[in-house]
Amino acid sequence: MPQDDDEDPRNGAVEANDHAHQSPLKKPRLTRPISEPDILQEFSHHQQGFARINNGSFGSCPRSVLSAQNTWHLRFLQQPDEFFFNSLRKGILESRAAVKALINADDVDDVSLVDNATTAAAIVLQQVGRQFADGSFRKNDAVIMFHCAFPAVKKSIGAYIGPAGGSVVEVRLPFPVRSNEEIIAEFKKGLERGKINGGRVRFAMIDHITSMPSVVLPVRELIRVCREEGVDQVFVDGAHSIGSVPVDVKEIDADFYVSNLYKWFFAPPAVAFLHCKNSKGLVDLHHPVVSQEYGKGLALESSWVGNRDYTPQLVVPSILEFVNRFEGGIKGIMKRNHDGVVKMGTMLAESWGTMLGSPPEMCASMIMVGLPSRLCVTSDDDAMSLRTHLRVYHRIEVPTYYQALRNEDRDPKDKDGFITGYVRISRQIYNTDEDYHRLKNAINQILEDGKICSMLPVE
Amino acid sequence: MDSPTTNNHNHIHTHHLNGASTISQPSKKPKLLSSSFITPAEIHEEFSHHDPSVARINNGSFGCCPASVIAAQHRSQLHYLRQPDNFYFNELKKGILQSRTIIKDLVNAKHVDEISIVDNATTAAAIVLQHTAWSFHEGTFQKGDVVLMLHYAYGAVKKSMEAYVTRAGGHVIEVPLPFPVASNEEIVREFRKALERGKSEGKRIRLAVIDHVTSMPCVVIPVKELVQICREEGVEKVFIDAAHSIGCVDVDMEEIGADFYTSNLHKWFFCPPSIAFLYTRKIPKGGSELHHPVVSHEYGNGLAVESAWIGTRDYSAQLVVPAALEFVNRFQGGIEGIKKRNHDAVVEMGEMLAQSWGTHLGSPPDMCGSMIMVGLPTSLGIACDDDALGLRVHLREQFGVEVPIYYRPPRDGEVGCVTGYARISHQVYNKVDDYHKFRDAVNQLVNNGFTCALLSG
Repeated sequence: MPQDDDEDPRNGAVEANDHAHQSPLKKPRLTRPISEPDILQEFSHHQQGFARINNGSFGSCPRSVLSAQNTWHLRFLQQPDEFFFNSLRKGILESRAAVKALINADDVDDVSLVDNATTAAAIVLQQVGRQFADGSFRKNDAVIMFHCAFPAVKKSIGAYIGPAGGSVVEVRLPFPVRSNEEIIAEFKKGLERGKINGGRVRFAMIDHITSMPSVVLPVRELIRVCREEGVDQVFVDGAHSIGSVPVDVKEIDADFYVSNLYKWFFAPPAVAFLHCKNSKGLVDLHHPVVSQEYGKGLALESSWVGNRDYTPQLVVPSILEFVNRFEGGIKGIMKRNHDGVVKMGTMLAESWGTMLGSPPEMCASMIMVGLPSRLCVTSDDDAMSLRTHLRVYHRIEVPTYYQALRNEDRDPKDKDGFITGYVRISRQIYNTDEDYHRLKNAINQILEDGKICSMLPVE
Repeated sequence: MDSPTTNNHNHIHTHHLNGASTISQPSKKPKLLSSSFITPAEIHEEFSHHDPSVARINNGSFGCCPASVIAAQHRSQLHYLRQPDNFYFNELKKGILQSRTIIKDLVNAKHVDEISIVDNATTAAAIVLQHTAWSFHEGTFQKGDVVLMLHYAYGAVKKSMEAYVTRAGGHVIEVPLPFPVASNEEIVREFRKALERGKSEGKRIRLAVIDHVTSMPCVVIPVKELVQICREEGVEKVFIDAAHSIGCVDVDMEEIGADFYTSNLHKWFFCPPSIAFLYTRKIPKGGSELHHPVVSHEYGNGLAVESAWIGTRDYSAQLVVPAALEFVNRFQGGIEGIKKRNHDAVVEMGEMLAQSWGTHLGSPPDMCGSMIMVGLPTSLGIACDDDALGLRVHLREQFGVEVPIYYRPPRDGEVGCVTGYARISHQVYNKVDDYHKFRDAVNQLVNNGFTCALLSG
C-alpha cells in the first residue's frame, strides 16, 4: 500500500548512500545545507498534525538514520554468522571511535556503548555497591544526589547502595532557579550533611541536565567542589546532554559520564555512551549481563551481551553524516534549538502571564514554562491529567510538572495565585513555531472554558 | 491501532541501496481458516532474505526470522516512532502482557506472573546468578556452598558463574559428560556422581544449572529426570538453561518442574533478535525475589514488570510473539509439526553425512532435537579449538557452507578417534541440497588431502 511505503522510513533514505561503510569523521562535500522540505521529509514518519514538543523523553530519529539501521539489520538477517564474525565488532568500534572524537575523550577504550543511561547507572552503581559491601567504603559513608534525579536512577541507588550499607544525601534543587550559585550553595550544604555521621561522601551523582524540572546544572563547578571535598567518584548523568549542550569529557572531568544518543543526537532507540575516566584502572566495573567477554573491560563486555539487535549501536557514523548536513553541524543545531525554545518559552510565558523556570542560560533545548495558576495543578495526577487531555483533545505532546509550594518567599505567583504547574517544552529541528502557538491556544482555551485540571476529560 | 498480528497489508520493503536484496512479504493473504497450509513456495519467500549462496545449517547460533514477522516488527517500530509517548502510555504494557500470555500457554506455566521477557538466555542467567551472589553476600548461603553446572554449559554462563558465584564465595562443581554419548543413563550417572561430590564436604547444594539442549557439543539432556534427582538429593533450586529449546524440543514447565527456566524465542521460534522468556516458579509470599539488574522505576514490582521496562529501548522484538505464533500455525501441526519434521530431517541428513564420510553421529536420534552432531573424517586433522574454528571459516569462505564445528579432545588411551564434529541443524527453510553441499565440500577436502594444519600457514 503506497501509504505505508511513504510512511515507513525503512524504504530507503532521502539520499541513497551506503551509510554503513563511510568513515565516521569524513564530512561529505557540503554543497548546500539541508533544506526545510528535506527536514520535513526526514521526519515525515512522525504523526502528522501533532505538536510534538516532548523530544526530551523519547528523542527522535530521522529517516536516513533509520534506513542505515535497516541496512545493518538486513545484513545480519542475511547471514548472521558472517555478520557476527566479520562485521559486528568492527562496526561497534567505529561507532565508539566516532563518539570518542565527539566528546573529546582520550582513549576509545574509555568509551562503552550501552542501551541507555538507566543501564549505565546500574553498571556504575553496582560497582559503588560492591565498594560498600567489601569495606572500601564504610557503613557511615554517603552517596549524594539531587532530589530530582531521574526516578530510575533513584531506584537504582536504592537497590545497590542502601542494602550495601551506604547512606544517601538528597540535595533539593532550587526551582524556579535564578542562578548557578543557588545550586552550588545547596550542593555544598548537602556535602556537609553527608559528613554528619563522621563519614565521607564517597560518590556524587550529578545530572548535567535534570529531567523534571529541567535545568542545566553547572557540572564543572559542582565537580570542582566534589574534588575539593574529597569525593571519591563523580558520575554525571548527562542523559539529555549530547546534542543539546557541548560535551567535553576532559573538561568536565567526571569519573563516569553517560549520555543517551537517542534523545538529542538522532540515534534510533536505544543507544547511549558511558565514558569512564581511565577505564584501565577500573578493575571492578562490569556489565551485569556476563558473556564470554567478561573481564576484558566494560567496552568489550558491553559490545556483546548475548545475541541481540546491535543495530542502534552501529549507526553513529551515519548520524554524523546526517548532522553534518546542517549548517554548523551539531553546534548549529544546538544553537538554533536553544534560541528557538527560549523564544517560544518566552512567548508562552507572556501569553499566560507566567514565567520561565530558569534563565535562558540555564537551559539548552528544553525550558520550563509556568502554567497559569487558574488551572489549579494541585498534584502529580492533575499534571498527568492535563498532559493526557492535551494529547487526546488538542493533539499536543508535552510533559507537565507539579511542584508543591515550599512556603518560602520565592514561591512563584501570577496575578491569580501561586504557580504550581509547569510544562517542559522542547525544540528539535522538526519543530515549527506553530507547535507552540497551538499549546498557547490550548491552555488559553481551557482557561476561557473555566476548566481546571481535575475537570479535564482524558478519554 | 494496527496490531502487530494483522497481516492485511501487502508490504514490500525494498531497498534501493546499492543493490541490497529485499525483504518481501508473501503476496498471498494467509488463509487463516482454510485447511491449506503454507506452501514450499511461500516458505521460500518468507526466507528470501537469507543469502542464497550459503548452505545455512547453523540455525542454532542465531536462529532465523520469516519476512512476515519482520514486517510485524517494522510496523511495531513505526508505530512507536510515530508517537512514542502515546505508545509508552497506551500500548507497550498491553503488548508485552499479550506476548507473555502466549508464552505462558506455550510452555504450560500456571500463572502469567511466572513469565518474564528478557533479551536472551545470557541475560536470564545473569539475573538468576546475580540473585545467587546476593544470597552469598547476605549470608543466606554459606561460603563454600555448592553450585552445580554441566561441563558443556554455554561459555557465557560459565563466565557468569565465575562473576557471580565463585566471586561471592560459592564453590562451583562441573559435571563431566561423555561425548559421544549413547544413552541418558550415562548422563544421569555422571550427574549423580557430581551431586555426591557436592554433598561430600557437608556443604549444601544451593543451585543446579542444567542445560536442556547443550550448545557444543549438542545433546538433549534428560532434564525432567535430573530435576527429580535434584529434588530427591536436596538441591535447593534448579535452573534450566534451555536457550535452544522452545521450538526445538518439548517445553512443559509443569512436566519439567524446575524453579527457573529460560529459552530464546529468536533461535527456534521465529522471533527477531532478541527475545527470551525466563520462567520463575511462583514462591510463597515473602520469598526472595529475582530482580532485573537494570533498575528502573518499576523496581520491586516483580521481575516480569521490571523486565518490561528497563529504560527507553526498542521493545519491538518482544511484541511480535503473536505474529510468530501466527506464522507457526500456518504449518501443519503448528510448532509440534515443525519440531517433528525438523527432527526427522536432521537425523536423516546426519545419517546421510555420517555414511558418506565413514563416521558416526555424536548421539542417538532420541537425544537430539533439531540439531545433531556428525563426526568429521579424521583425515581433516582437527587437533584443537582453533582448527575447528579455522575449518568453519574455510567452509564458509571457500564452500558457502555455514556450520559450527566442535573439537572433541581424545580421551586417555584413545587413538585415531574422531576429533571433530559438525553441528548440523534443520529448520523449515532448509533443503536437502544444503546438506549435499556440505557433504561434497568435506569429501572434496578429504580427496584433496586437506588438513587443518594447512590453515595456520
